[in-house]
Amino acid sequence: MSEPAIRVGGLAKDFGGLRAVDGVSFDVAAGERRVLIGPNGAGKTTLFHCITGVLWPSAGEVALFGRGITRLAEPARTALGMSRTFQISNVFADLAVIENMILALLGTDRRKWVLHRAVDTFGAVRARAVEGLARVGLERRAESPARLLSYGERRQLELALALNSNPRVLLLDEPCAGLSPSERQRISQTIAALPREITLLMIEHDMDVALGLADRVTVLHRGRVILEGTPDEVQTNPEVREVYFGHV
Amino acid sequence: MTSTILQAINGVSLAALLFLLASGFTLSFGLMRVVNMAHGAYYLLGGYIGLSVARATGSFALALVAGGLAVVVLGYLVDRFLLRRTGENHLAQVLLTVGVAFVIGDVALRIWGGDYLKVPVPVALRGATELPGGLVYPTYRLVLIALGAAVGVLLWILYRKTQIGAVVRAGVDDREQVAATGINVDRLFVMVSALASFLAGMAGVAGGAFLTLYPGAEWEILVYALVVVIVGGLGSLGGAMIGALIVGLLDAYGRWLLPEFSYFVLFAPMAVLLLVRPRGIAGKEA
Amino acid sequence: MGRTRAVVLAVALAAALVLPFAAGPFWMGLATQMLIFGLLALSTDLLLGHAGLFSLCHASFFAVSAYTVAILQVRYGVPTALAAPAGLLLGTVLAAVFGLSVRTRGVYFILVTLALGYVIWGVAHRWSSFTGGDNGVTNVPFPGAGPLAIVSHTQYYYLVLAIVAICMLGYRVLVRSPFGLTLRGIKASESRMRSLGYRTGVHLYAAFVLSGALASFAGVLYVYYNRFVNPVSASFPISVEAVLMAIIGGSGTVIGPFLGSGIILGLRNWVSSFFELYAAVLGIVFIATVLWAPAGIMGIAGQLRARLGRTRTAPA
Repeated sequence: MSEPAIRVGGLAKDFGGLRAVDGVSFDVAAGERRVLIGPNGAGKTTLFHCITGVLWPSAGEVALFGRGITRLAEPARTALGMSRTFQISNVFADLAVIENMILALLGTDRRKWVLHRAVDTFGAVRARAVEGLARVGLERRAESPARLLSYGERRQLELALALNSNPRVLLLDEPCAGLSPSERQRISQTIAALPREITLLMIEHDMDVALGLADRVTVLHRGRVILEGTPDEVQTNPEVREVYFGHV
Repeated sequence: MTSTILQAINGVSLAALLFLLASGFTLSFGLMRVVNMAHGAYYLLGGYIGLSVARATGSFALALVAGGLAVVVLGYLVDRFLLRRTGENHLAQVLLTVGVAFVIGDVALRIWGGDYLKVPVPVALRGATELPGGLVYPTYRLVLIALGAAVGVLLWILYRKTQIGAVVRAGVDDREQVAATGINVDRLFVMVSALASFLAGMAGVAGGAFLTLYPGAEWEILVYALVVVIVGGLGSLGGAMIGALIVGLLDAYGRWLLPEFSYFVLFAPMAVLLLVRPRGIAGKEA
Repeated sequence: MGRTRAVVLAVALAAALVLPFAAGPFWMGLATQMLIFGLLALSTDLLLGHAGLFSLCHASFFAVSAYTVAILQVRYGVPTALAAPAGLLLGTVLAAVFGLSVRTRGVYFILVTLALGYVIWGVAHRWSSFTGGDNGVTNVPFPGAGPLAIVSHTQYYYLVLAIVAICMLGYRVLVRSPFGLTLRGIKASESRMRSLGYRTGVHLYAAFVLSGALASFAGVLYVYYNRFVNPVSASFPISVEAVLMAIIGGSGTVIGPFLGSGIILGLRNWVSSFFELYAAVLGIVFIATVLWAPAGIMGIAGQLRARLGRTRTAPA
């Protein structure tokens, strides 16, 4: 049996006196679409930070395709095929949109260290950057500074950047946050169209999007996993309903 | 053995002076996110003004107060008309306050000249005191240590035990939260800034009585204060105390044992810190 | 590049070439200084304008290379062919050591580099048995390598002009390269860069060492121009003025630091002829720049150009 794409074992994270993540364990199989849901403050983003390397857990382990990465630096995890988006759009606002994409492409490429040739001379890289933009419908905004993009366009760029580093595992942190219904549709279509070579772990608040895309759902509450199952199982579970609708 | 102890006291007396300067700087940063590179110039100007007042009135106490108050006024003007326009842009703050320091330094040069000047020590504090164990040490420096300790204790009590101190501490942690509770944050800033200015000006007078005042002193003392703040962590009062002791003692022993490389000795803790813990001993801000 | 820019550059180059004959030795000397300090300013701007790091210790590299050349040539009779590279090497080695400072960011980085800069000044000042203390090292000869010896200020001016022009071209390629783009990415969002797979600390360290090497190069050019070196060249005002020059001229561009250098040096020359408080004037320039022209001359030019309907995002 092949290794799970992501394995989280007994993960915990403390901030001073606060335990944001409390003994979380789960496996995400290769090619799976897993959605993480839970009310605000459930520890979802903190969990993401531990998996991607922004934070080191206080306890527990993280493994990527069987390889332990618990204390590996974030850039090294990306080099191993992990990629993420941020809950609050984190694009290079002062740079042109196409430069954003080029940086995403070169992140795991040794050519990022070239200092004797202009970036403009790398025709193939630029072409792939334009392709990446086209995939999210931003090719016409290539030369504009990212600062001038609308909120929805930024979310799309955010997704494009994560896709451009050729990930094996993609972590999406509320990709639809703050988007209009049509923008939401567009993004979820893009995500749904991703090939199964990419394993997906997604935090999402929008139930329709989440349950529509998911193979399996993990529900987090106060830093703990309270349920894991198929979208149907989760939707009909009384404890989940109480957590989401019983307490405001 | 006596030399070792003597150097230790030297170090502690410098530490007292540095604490006066560094505490204001670090609290200003912690609360208001302001980097004020003119702090050294405040020290120098306060010292010079105190010097003139001491010469005119013969009163050291008056000189201390005058030096402190003059800088409070100047500091307020700088804050209100210049620093306020820079928001949290540290680059702008640094350049702006360096500019202010250049202006102050040059004007001071014009008024007080380029010689090494000393603030006259009050008669009662001149000479030496005999310490237990037979050691004899300049009285003034011992008094300075007492002053530094007193200010330290006072600040600590204010910071940790009073309502206002609690507000300042909360503000250092999260300024928006404090503002949201309806407290007049602006007035708080003005008060903390005024305190920092007063301490800097007063330090100038106190320091000018044994370190002398001269063009360039404003930068040398600032650098020492900055190392204190780096080692102790920006925004931490306790860190400023510990940092001041470390820097003061290292400077004293460095000058005594390796006079030509004393600067190296001084900056060694900083280098070590950079390797091991880039955020300083107790810092709150990256 | 645009035609206007090409024309302006051609005119500037022509002016630079005929300067010694058209304007005389005083202006030529000033121009030489402008080029040298412009190079120092450029070195700080690699960090500031591209990586977003405000370094206040670059005078250290400048001074260490100058002192190395001076001491080797004057005290030990080492020829230029060895002394100059030695100076460059030592300055760069110092940058490799001070590069530790990139473990910090933001305010800490500024303060740490300020303090590190002082170490070198302190050594130059206190280790008088070796550095000559406040008197420094004097009687540095013109550079010479056998038949290729410089014998006049005019010759040196042209040598500096050629070297600086080459540096500018090299720098231009550097900032347009993937490495340069990486630095701007780190400046724009370091967290994003890390999530994309960049080991940002390593990139910043490399940038710091490169910028230190460039500052050292300026120091070598400086000591042969000035013919002596003293602790002032390691002082804080030199470091902070270099950054100001980059900002006033236009941070993030190639010509900006040189424009800024011309403005500051020109101002100093003009003001000090009738007013003693030159440092105060410089202080006011700092304040005015921060409050009213943070994007510098190039920024103002850019705004004008934008208003005339043309924009660009790539560095000049």
